[in-house]
Amino acid sequence: MARYGMALNYKSCINCRACESACKEENGVLLLKDHYRIWVGVKEAEGEFPNISIASQTYHPSQCQHCSNAPCQMVCPTNATYYGTDGMVMVDPVKCILCTYCINACPYDARYVDQRTMTVDKCTFCSDTRLAAGETTTACQATCPTKVRVFGDLDDPKSEISQLLANKEYRQVKEHLGTKPKLFYIV
Amino acid sequence: MNTFSLKKLFFFEKTPLNLLMAVLTVGLLAAFFAGVANYILHGHHAYNVTRQHPWGLLISMYVFFVVSSTGLCIISSIGHVFGIKEFQQIGKRAIAGAIITISSGFAVIAFEIGHPVTMMIYNVLTPGLTSAIWWMGTLYGLYLTFICLEFFFLAVKEHHTLSKIFGICGLLVGLAAHSNLGAVFGFLVSRPSANGVFYPVYFILSAMITGCYLIFLMYGFRYKMNFPDKVQVMLVKLSKILGMLLAVLIFFEIWKILTALYGDMPERAATILHAVQHPNFWLGELTLGMLIPFTVILLSNAQAIKATVYASILGMVGIFFMRYGLVHDTLLYPMTTLKRAEYELAPTFVEYFPSITEFAIGLGGIGLSLFLYYIADKVFNLDETEGAHH
Ligand code: SF4
Ligand code: SF4
Repeated sequence: MARYGMALNYKSCINCRACESACKEENGVLLLKDHYRIWVGVKEAEGEFPNISIASQTYHPSQCQHCSNAPCQMVCPTNATYYGTDGMVMVDPVKCILCTYCINACPYDARYVDQRTMTVDKCTFCSDTRLAAGETTTACQATCPTKVRVFGDLDDPKSEISQLLANKEYRQVKEHLGTKPKLFYIV
Repeated sequence: MNTFSLKKLFFFEKTPLNLLMAVLTVGLLAAFFAGVANYILHGHHAYNVTRQHPWGLLISMYVFFVVSSTGLCIISSIGHVFGIKEFQQIGKRAIAGAIITISSGFAVIAFEIGHPVTMMIYNVLTPGLTSAIWWMGTLYGLYLTFICLEFFFLAVKEHHTLSKIFGICGLLVGLAAHSNLGAVFGFLVSRPSANGVFYPVYFILSAMITGCYLIFLMYGFRYKMNFPDKVQVMLVKLSKILGMLLAVLIFFEIWKILTALYGDMPERAATILHAVQHPNFWLGELTLGMLIPFTVILLSNAQAIKATVYASILGMVGIFFMRYGLVHDTLLYPMTTLKRAEYELAPTFVEYFPSITEFAIGLGGIGLSLFLYYIADKVFNLDETEGAHH
């Protein structure tokens, strides 16, 4: 069993949003306002003229962090949200009662209501689309022109992501909440 | 139980107050069914909830109703379970009210939960034991069963011991269920303004206050403000209890707010500061819900029962804002603070205002309660049975 995560060379992100489109296309995400599994956050430059920090203007691609200690899973009354194979946090639409408790509980705004199934949906690391078909990359990674995204097995010491995390400094989002997220932002 | 016919059921004295209540009840009931019809036609599109604000007025109203129910159950137990004599007369009326309010709560939440039938199946098949919603829902189901049995042995087939046993069970399970409802919010690690021990405890306290307000309203209406001595004595005592509870609640709130603001901790301080500046809080929750009733009780030394009945109307409006604030304030702070498009502003506090359908179903639930109470009052004798000593 693998333990999948994703490292993001976010400083290389050019905010082209090819990943957003690729995700929608690959996973059939509807083109509606609240419907997005992944997104790119825009952080504006800090400081005032003449000391505007150009380096502080960055783009932060984001999605479900597949937390190892996931608040969304803990609060689900019917275990519709569960830990799937390879450490991924998944939603079973059959069991989801749409109480939306998990949307409130997720600290990362990673979940939304799918208007077709009227159940909660979120990033699955393409496990039911690409990985199930034998691919080893996610759609967002495959399409990224500047190679921001590195998806792989955190338990395999030889994997690209393990190598990267062993050699580079990284930070994570809202780590202090104890969610043990699996997105790593390489600094 | 009274003998009744349909004609009797819909006959009432045509006083202005009664007519007003009748119009209010029918109006709210109509709103409820209109809202439900619109929901059936348009689903969740009829609501203004969003990805960033997934809970709205209907959750608030659910909390409003179950808080009322638990409160009535707790207050009725003063006489019925703990044996304080003056309070034994409220038993039946309060428990009937508790059953009615929680049923209205369930009716409202049924249109908020996307798949209530799936819920009943998978709550049992794959229970999420770490979920406060699972415990809250399951315990409330059990609670409703207990208080129904309690009422049965109080009002239908009088049996002192059994009603007391089910009364104790209902009280304990109700307390557990209700603090779990507080934990639904208190357990949210993602929301620093709600996270912590405050809500589970405060829910019980505010439930007792809601219970007192409702008893004042029910008795004010029942006796049209001409209280027999026995009732007067009980209401004066209840008013003293209410005064004390309000003082504790105000004390709690002050410290909650001070703790939240102190040190300006990220997210928490800003959220609470934003919340307390809104009229929903200082006018609704604080002034109507706490200060006016408290002042009336304090100034009259708990003797002004009629004024307290009027203050209880304001109190319940305040309690509504309290429940609304609970949900809205918890969700105020955006979970991702970066903007998602180049030409927009960075997210600030999340906005939400209920849709017409949400108002119709949520407030319409009050019509449901009023209607059921009217029926219960006709069908059962909710006053203390003469000569019965419990
Ligand atoms: S990021 Fe949110 S949705 Fe994803 S696992 Fe963590 S808590 Fe759950
Ligand atoms: S909305 Fe669905 S997945 Fe989320 S907590 Fe409720 S039942 Fe679980």
